[in-house]
Amino acid sequence: MKALLFSLLSSAALAQTPCPTREAWPTQGWPEALVDTSAKATQLAALEAYAFTLTGDDAERTGLRTNSVVIIHEGKLKYEKYARGFTRDNRHLSWSVAKSYSSALIGTAVKEGLVKIDDSICVYLPEYVNSPKCSIRVKDAITFATGLGWQEEYEDASYQASSVIAMLYGIGHRDQLHHVLSHRQAAEPGKQWNYSTGDAHLAAAVAQRALAQRHGRDAFWKVLFEPIGTPNVVFEVDAKGTPLGGSMVYATPRDFAKFGFLYLNDGCWNGERLVPEGWVSASTTPSETFVQHAPEGQSTPSGYSWWLNIERPPPTVKERPWADVPNDAFSANGHWGQFIVVVPSWDLVVVRTGDDRDSRIDLNELAKLSYEVVR
Amino acid sequence: MKRLVLLAALALGACANPLGDPATFDNNDVELAVGNTARMGCSCLFVMNMDEAYCRAWVKASPDVAKMNIDWADKSVESSAFLSFAARARLVDDKRGCVLE
Repeated sequence: MKALLFSLLSSAALAQTPCPTREAWPTQGWPEALVDTSAKATQLAALEAYAFTLTGDDAERTGLRTNSVVIIHEGKLKYEKYARGFTRDNRHLSWSVAKSYSSALIGTAVKEGLVKIDDSICVYLPEYVNSPKCSIRVKDAITFATGLGWQEEYEDASYQASSVIAMLYGIGHRDQLHHVLSHRQAAEPGKQWNYSTGDAHLAAAVAQRALAQRHGRDAFWKVLFEPIGTPNVVFEVDAKGTPLGGSMVYATPRDFAKFGFLYLNDGCWNGERLVPEGWVSASTTPSETFVQHAPEGQSTPSGYSWWLNIERPPPTVKERPWADVPNDAFSANGHWGQFIVVVPSWDLVVVRTGDDRDSRIDLNELAKLSYEVVR
Repeated sequence: MKRLVLLAALALGACANPLGDPATFDNNDVELAVGNTARMGCSCLFVMNMDEAYCRAWVKASPDVAKMNIDWADKSVESSAFLSFAARARLVDDKRGCVLE
């Protein structure tokens, strides 16, 4: 019997996918192997002409306005450039890149057995236990599937119509979780795909409550930011202490790259899985709600709050979103042109921070030109 | 005259959007402008560690009516507009950044 049990346990152990190995892990800092500027002069000129040429009026804050580009290839820092007063030491606002962080934090909580993604959010937010919002599952919060009547509008629409602006600066700012869950239930959870900063705030709140039981109020740093060598990440909160997981993460571009590198390596860091096996794969597969309910015009599929470079299933759109980039690429995207682009088949992570108020840098062009520099 | 028209428009904005319409929120543009300036100004200065000139440009929004007053010792930013609109954001610690009070 003991032999049988041992055999079963051994089989289970063998069935696990091993973590990728690397020559070095950038916990203490990125190993540098900067590109040869002479040999790559043409490619560098092309990248910088595209990414760093101001195309509008700086005083009017128009056009493409890049603050940084960092390129990681084969586990090493190959290129970095900063502009407009930023240096490698300045944190940058993530905007919606934060959503991918919140999704990852749910992953860490699942890994620790503190969260089940099919649970109701009310398991973790007991103050809502008698609310109809208890039909929302944790999984819905990381797949834009809560069904809430959220209105994701920004500066170019009526401020009064924006759930986001009201939450960050207006009537909802003191208790942003309450603001999110005060929205009407427009659809049954899982039956509507609606891109929402509120959903990601909800995910971060669940992660915080669950992880804090074991790790205290600095849980996000203990389970994710410190293990990957990014202890200086700032994750802002509201006046009630709820993390603003849809938009308000600040990190240096090098630290954003470490987060991308974690996902490039299947959620592993130096031999340790920080999120469950299969989490990165699920994060980079179109969610069921996206497949069944995303609106017709939404051409870039999403998984667990990451954007995917595959044809929208069913393929009503015949092209990948980023046509010159392999179909295993995925990205974390934020307002004003923040990007963490991960391309596993190129062993590449590209970070771009920016301040594109009225236009947006093209991710396809950025990733393609970045790869030309390092290949 | 232009200023008068602007003030009248803003006052009307303050009265618009009554509660009860699920598609709108009971904020007027000036409240939002001072909230934006306080929050984003605080984070720009004390989280991103950018200089004051950069941060004054960073927070500029429409309508461009919010003044930004920095308390360097308290690591806070207060924003105000006209006589009755104000907001304040303060750096709480080096992990949680700025909070709009």
